[in-house]
Amino acid sequence: MLQISDLSARVAGKDILTGVNLTVQPGEVHAIMGPNGSGKSTLAQVLAGREDYEVTRGSVIFEGRDLLAMRAEERARAGLFLGFQYPVEIPGVNNVYLLKAALNAKRKAAGEPEVDAYEFLVLIRQKMKFMQMSESFLTRGVNEGFSGGEKKRNEILQMLVLEPKLAILDETDSGLDIDALKVVSMGVNSLRDPKRAVVLVTHYQRLLDYVIPDQVHVLSGGRIVKSGDKSLAHELERRGYDWVLGAQVA
Amino acid sequence: MNAALRSFEAQWRARPADALQPIREQAMQRFLKLGLPTSSDETWRYTDLRSLAAQSFQAAAGEIRGTLDPNAALSLVDGTQRAATMIMINGAAPADADNTRIHGFTISSIKSLSKLDHGALLRFFPPVSDADQRRWVLLNTALFDDGLYLKITERVTVPLVILHVSSGAGAQEAAHPRIIIDAAPGSSATIIEHHVTHGEFAPLSNSNTHIALGQDAQLEHYRVYATSAGATHLDALEIHQARGSQCKQFTIALGGGLVRSSLDVYLNQSGASLESHALLVGHGDRHVDCVNIVTHAAPDTRSRQTARAIAGDTSRVIFNSKVIVKAGAVHSDSQQSCRGLLLSPSAEIDTRPQLEIHADEVKCAHGATVGRLDPDMLFYLLSRGLDRETAQSLLVYAFLADVLTGMSVTSARSAIESALIGQLPDSQTLRNFK
Ligand SMILES: Nc1ncnc2c1ncn2[C@@H]1O[C@H](COP(=O)(O)OP(=O)(O)O)[C@@H](O)[C@H]1O
Ligand SMILES: [Mg+2]
Repeated sequence: MLQISDLSARVAGKDILTGVNLTVQPGEVHAIMGPNGSGKSTLAQVLAGREDYEVTRGSVIFEGRDLLAMRAEERARAGLFLGFQYPVEIPGVNNVYLLKAALNAKRKAAGEPEVDAYEFLVLIRQKMKFMQMSESFLTRGVNEGFSGGEKKRNEILQMLVLEPKLAILDETDSGLDIDALKVVSMGVNSLRDPKRAVVLVTHYQRLLDYVIPDQVHVLSGGRIVKSGDKSLAHELERRGYDWVLGAQVA
Repeated sequence: MNAALRSFEAQWRARPADALQPIREQAMQRFLKLGLPTSSDETWRYTDLRSLAAQSFQAAAGEIRGTLDPNAALSLVDGTQRAATMIMINGAAPADADNTRIHGFTISSIKSLSKLDHGALLRFFPPVSDADQRRWVLLNTALFDDGLYLKITERVTVPLVILHVSSGAGAQEAAHPRIIIDAAPGSSATIIEHHVTHGEFAPLSNSNTHIALGQDAQLEHYRVYATSAGATHLDALEIHQARGSQCKQFTIALGGGLVRSSLDVYLNQSGASLESHALLVGHGDRHVDCVNIVTHAAPDTRSRQTARAIAGDTSRVIFNSKVIVKAGAVHSDSQQSCRGLLLSPSAEIDTRPQLEIHADEVKCAHGATVGRLDPDMLFYLLSRGLDRETAQSLLVYAFLADVLTGMSVTSARSAIESALIGQLPDSQTLRNFK
């Protein structure tokens, strides 16, 4: 599904990613953990196609295609989804318009007809109910005045409507109370199937109790310094990052 | 003396005297003395009239060539709102103006009123002023042929549309439309002035609207510039507000080649309040120069000025606003806010809010920002698979949204929205959204 090889990237003249290697197979869930500033969000944004992040080395193959040669919108239509760590507020652009436009863009790229307005509303209502979101969401601007938790739910809602092949969720769990965390986890789990994959960027092991990862990686200094199974997350929780980083130096 | 001035003087000499002659005479002499504004006049710094000054103008006839598309006449307000439409051709009041009956209004031509009640009319011709933002009003006063006088006598909910049609028989004509809106105490109405072009030639339009709001009167006033790309439009609006009156004013620039729009508001008595909204769209090589001057002349007056300017292609949009608080106008409360959005590297937006305060205990805020589309917002939309053009248009649209949502005439709002969307890239997709 996704093969990242020796990926290096620079932001504002600063090298942030320094040779990331990662392979994700269909059906898998990977967790990427690491201290603040280690480059997790940069990796997520580079994969989603943010242009002001300059790739200096390496390659990324997504579903057999050269991901780095595709524009952000093409990546999205090809089935890549980024759940933002800080979803931006866009007053004046209605949430539902955005969702519909996004879904239609994807369908158009796949040669499918536009979604019927009524069917779309039914779909949205059903997914909103699943995500325990209030009706008022339908009339509001994108993330406008949403609480932190609402923004994260909205990201997951978009993911559920778009049904991506690969979802990269950047700290979708931070700032959530336990109930919201359960709802978000349920959303992620509902997308799990043998043809899809999920990359969870997270700070805490907490989320991984609900969404069980196949592999856990530690990103530090712009590269993956350790990988393991889910027990690695527990170990990090107990011993902190210094343990891994110290081991690196030694 | 430049060619334009000479030609205006020739027109002046050729016109027969009428009841307003002393006022006209005074205005014309002043205009000839001061001349056309130049870039050394403060409010004309950004607008170069040299090519206009080099042309000779003839008076545009108050009649149209061919037939007017009735859809154009009603394009801003739909039939269900049963708006009455008054059509002004090159500034000429409709022939049947004096016999027009519209509920809540008393309507006549300015000439008829000058015969009927000359004293009443003089109220709407303030003493001539040297202020450069009012320069073209002098010429309008001297040369307007006839205009429309609208008295609002009651509380009316149905909007009234004044359709200003610019239609020339050839190049280099000029018209001087004049409107007087006289809102009786306690009255309330919505008036939409819609400026369009008909046919191949658009005369230079030098329009002037004078509004007087009586005590506690309420008015929602729109002026929509939707003339053709080659048209030059100089428009001045003056509003005088009495105690407790409320005015909501929308200035919408969607068309024209060179648009100069001024707003002068006088909050003359306490409790008067103004909300002014400008939505200025630079498209192609359009030049839009908007200047607002709001004078708080009495205590406890309030003004809000909001402007949204967008400039694409090689267009240029200017928005300058000024609040003057006169001595004694304590507890004046004013806000000026302008946001500009540049859509192309060759476009330009200039904005400057100014304050001139001569009283204590006032609350005056102002702010102005000009920027480009927010890259975070753009990336968010792209990351959801939207086309770049669609994403940009959506953001531009969102940028203008709060001015649009303030409009209470929903059909006018959607017509303006639709015209606006038509000037954004990828308008078809955007229309499908709505
Ligand atoms: N737009 C940017 N401009 C400059 N520096 C940035 C930018 N984005 C991220 N960085 C820097 O890159 C490093 C990695 O940031 P980030 O990827 O957000 O880390 P993480 O998500 O792991 O906390 C940090 O040092 C951060 O300051
Ligand atoms: Mg981060």
